[in-house]
Amino acid sequence: MNDRNKGLTLEKKKNLIGWGFLLPAALLICWMSFYPMIQAFILSLKSGIGVNLKFNGFRNYARILKDPTFRQTLFNTFFYLILQVPIMLVLALALASMLNNKDLKFKGLFRTAIFLPCATSLVSYSMIFRAMFANDGLINTVLKRFGASPVGWFSNAWTARIIIVIALIWRWTGYNMVFYLSGLQNIEYSVYEAARIDGASPIQSFFKITVPLLKPTILLTAIMSTNGTLQLFDESINLTKGGPGKSTMTLSHYIYNTSFVQTPKFGYAAAMSIIILIMVAVLAFVQMKVGDKR
Amino acid sequence: MSKGKKAAQYTILTIVSLFSVFPLYYMLCGATNKSTDVVTGRLIPGTYLIKNFQSLTANQPLGRALWNSLRNAVILTVLALLICSIAGYGFEVFHDKGKDVVMTILLMAMMIPFAAIMIPLFRMFAQMKLVNTMAAFMLPTISTPFLIMLFRQSARSFPHDMIEAARMDGLSEIGIFFRMFIPTMKSTYAAAMTITFMNAWNNYLWPKVILQDDSSITMPMLVANLQGGYKTDYGMLMLGVFICTIPTAIVFFCLQKSFTEGITGSVK
Amino acid sequence: MKNKIITVALLTAMAVSLTSCGNGNSGSSGATRGAAEDDNTLNVWCWDPNFNIYAMKKAAEIYAEDHEGFKVNVTEVQSEDIETKLTTYMSSNELDLLPDIFLMQDNSFQKYASNYPDIFTDLTDSGIDFSQFAEAKTAYSTIDGRHLGVPFDNATVINAMRTDLLEQAGYTLDDFTDITWSDYLEKAKDVKEKTGLPMLTLQAGSPDIIMMMLQSCGQSLFKKDGSVNIKGNKVLKQSMEIYAQMVKDGTLREVTDNDQYIGSLNNGSVVSTINGCWIMASIIDQEDQAGSWELTTMPRLDAEDASNHSNNGGSSWAVTSNCKNKKLAYDFFNETFAGSTDLYDDIIQKGAVATWAPAGETDAYAEESDFFSGQKVNSMLIDYGTQTPSNYTGPFYYDARDAIGVALSNVTQQGSDLDSEIDTAQETAEFNMEG
Repeated sequence: MNDRNKGLTLEKKKNLIGWGFLLPAALLICWMSFYPMIQAFILSLKSGIGVNLKFNGFRNYARILKDPTFRQTLFNTFFYLILQVPIMLVLALALASMLNNKDLKFKGLFRTAIFLPCATSLVSYSMIFRAMFANDGLINTVLKRFGASPVGWFSNAWTARIIIVIALIWRWTGYNMVFYLSGLQNIEYSVYEAARIDGASPIQSFFKITVPLLKPTILLTAIMSTNGTLQLFDESINLTKGGPGKSTMTLSHYIYNTSFVQTPKFGYAAAMSIIILIMVAVLAFVQMKVGDKR
Repeated sequence: MSKGKKAAQYTILTIVSLFSVFPLYYMLCGATNKSTDVVTGRLIPGTYLIKNFQSLTANQPLGRALWNSLRNAVILTVLALLICSIAGYGFEVFHDKGKDVVMTILLMAMMIPFAAIMIPLFRMFAQMKLVNTMAAFMLPTISTPFLIMLFRQSARSFPHDMIEAARMDGLSEIGIFFRMFIPTMKSTYAAAMTITFMNAWNNYLWPKVILQDDSSITMPMLVANLQGGYKTDYGMLMLGVFICTIPTAIVFFCLQKSFTEGITGSVK
Repeated sequence: MKNKIITVALLTAMAVSLTSCGNGNSGSSGATRGAAEDDNTLNVWCWDPNFNIYAMKKAAEIYAEDHEGFKVNVTEVQSEDIETKLTTYMSSNELDLLPDIFLMQDNSFQKYASNYPDIFTDLTDSGIDFSQFAEAKTAYSTIDGRHLGVPFDNATVINAMRTDLLEQAGYTLDDFTDITWSDYLEKAKDVKEKTGLPMLTLQAGSPDIIMMMLQSCGQSLFKKDGSVNIKGNKVLKQSMEIYAQMVKDGTLREVTDNDQYIGSLNNGSVVSTINGCWIMASIIDQEDQAGSWELTTMPRLDAEDASNHSNNGGSSWAVTSNCKNKKLAYDFFNETFAGSTDLYDDIIQKGAVATWAPAGETDAYAEESDFFSGQKVNSMLIDYGTQTPSNYTGPFYYDARDAIGVALSNVTQQGSDLDSEIDTAQETAEFNMEG
């Protein structure tokens, strides 16, 4: 009888401690993110210009449906998502496993080189990309050398989008590679040894050992990349300024413009933000359901 | 591994590395050339480094910005790592359905564009009279669902039998965390430290709204100032950008070895 | 147990240091936050150390000669950031975080004056004589007849031309002075044939030149009553047709961004440029082109009230409602930006040309420029400024401008039909103007 009581309180104590561990972090998030988010939702039910905001129900959301710019930016953002995220993650994974090889020399150098893009300031790399893809820039010069005709990269909607995809892959592959590298450390080398002895090829061990054991990290990077790309802002503003026209503008960029550049319509901007929130949440939920098996 | 495969690997890695590093080479060239050379696309380093540096320091408070950015990034990184790693550990080691739900809810916090919560956040700090303070600067970014999730996922590979053994030895839960988890998960901490430092260093949108005067200028704000005039001195700008990039690169280079220290050594 | 105590102690220490760091900051910087408390100091927000900040500090020096102990605390804040901060503060009702004075781009002035009138102080009866400023400039910061800003930098449009290249094509500067756009188009084709170079380079998608053309006729994208004036705006259509035609002729080359644009000036791949006079600073940078450039007027449209002058950019100083010492601010401006030829003589060396008419009568302004082949560029600019028509910017300037930018881009880069693009632009602008 005494033993059982003692066991219960120990269990309870452990449980409380567990919650205690995550309390500071959780409270901070609630305060810094959820509280403003709720305010943003309330804001999304008001409409008006500048400080003249009046309650208007869900009118803002209805307005979104009529907004051609919203549709365009939605398309752009999803285009980036579908094209860039898978390519980048696969590339990062491949690079990480190559760089995990014990016998490889210059590992430190390679890793730093591949990570450097994401440490590079946005200002400089957008200038550089614009210069490289300029009408008489490096890329076109190379194309001409090979006999192909130069492309007006920034003047065509599709090529401009491709530039953003390339820029994103260039910038964020190293970032994700860092997580994979760190995650790969937790897979014991002996597992690979055993597989090799059993006659598995590198490709087989990649797909049958690396990927499954790295699932938690892959899930993390997938959710983060999806979130990051759906909220893409910097590249749209600095690299292409949303152009030509609005064909590379992202949702976040449009929301920012609606609040701070054009006539301030905070209610409308808030409504669009809530829509993004819902989309990202749904996608993350799907990803977690698929990938988060214990 | 066969020679051919090895050669292929080296080739791929070298090409990818060159592709990654080329824009930085361009940046370096820009930093050593004068403005007109940079815009006309010169690709060889020049002799203007000293001159650009002198213009830069005359134009902007470089030392102060560097110090501010460094101090902010370091403090923020330490706090963020502490708070988020203990949370991630808590989520995983004391796992139950309730915690899963909480994790999912917390994840939603990062899914709203910052531009939307910026004003409510600012209003909150203004009402608490905390505008232009370090606290206001750091609080929004200390605890991120991202970091918590990173540590949670990594904690999956932390052997639970180790925890049990430690408990039986009489170690408290906090003790287990500090004495065993942190030393073992070095690679995760290294990764988290790099990313957090980088984000703290490059943060621009929130600091520009919440910080008020010249004494709290940070490196990204300095770089933005370099572009603000009617005439941009591109050589000076590239130098400023280069200086802004170096610290994160250094942090990474120092820590990248730690990415590769797994748990195999520390299990004993 | 010991570990626990250590941990708690560490965390507490960190928390304390965090908050005390915070307090430390606000304590020492109290002087530069918000409006100045001291009655002989003014807090100023502006950008560009070479230009605006220099001018403001110089003005403070001059004023301090007669008013001992006066100083300004200048905080460098980017134009875009000033606007973001103003928007954020006003939306959070935090007026007491505003400085005493800030600089604002003329294009945004009306937006803020209409949407957030509480930011500004009415300067109409402050004693500053606004009639001595170019009318086109004061119009930007005037709402309903009330003056809300002191015009500062001159952004008169100039047509800077490479006279050596023109000579190659058999033309002189006079052939391009005070001409019409149709004349310009023809000559441009000829120049292209003979030199292989375009007359103009412009950033793709940026409707700056369209705006300049509109203002040269006293027009804008809005009618005086505030409604959108895109569809049915003959001057607008003419401007866009000229643009599209020049692209087709190869006499206007679109570049991807500002650095490319500056590059084209510096590396000699363009014959001229039509822009605000601030572009001169970038042109002068390329020292080996000295003596090859000269300034003249822009072409005029075929319309009523067409002129050869316009404006592109510029900024004005505003005094906030939060300023505790408004009399000091009025007096300061009266004796410096609206009253001191010494100030303008000094800042002219930085390329800061005045919009204040009396400044143009000094010797400094009559100096000849070596770079621009001996032209008295500064007095030319003041002169142009007085002939620039003013126009109505309106609070929705950026919404309409944005729509035109998209239309322009679609016409030149995707070959869309101009009329349908204009219709779409009108719709987009009106949609964005709704609450």
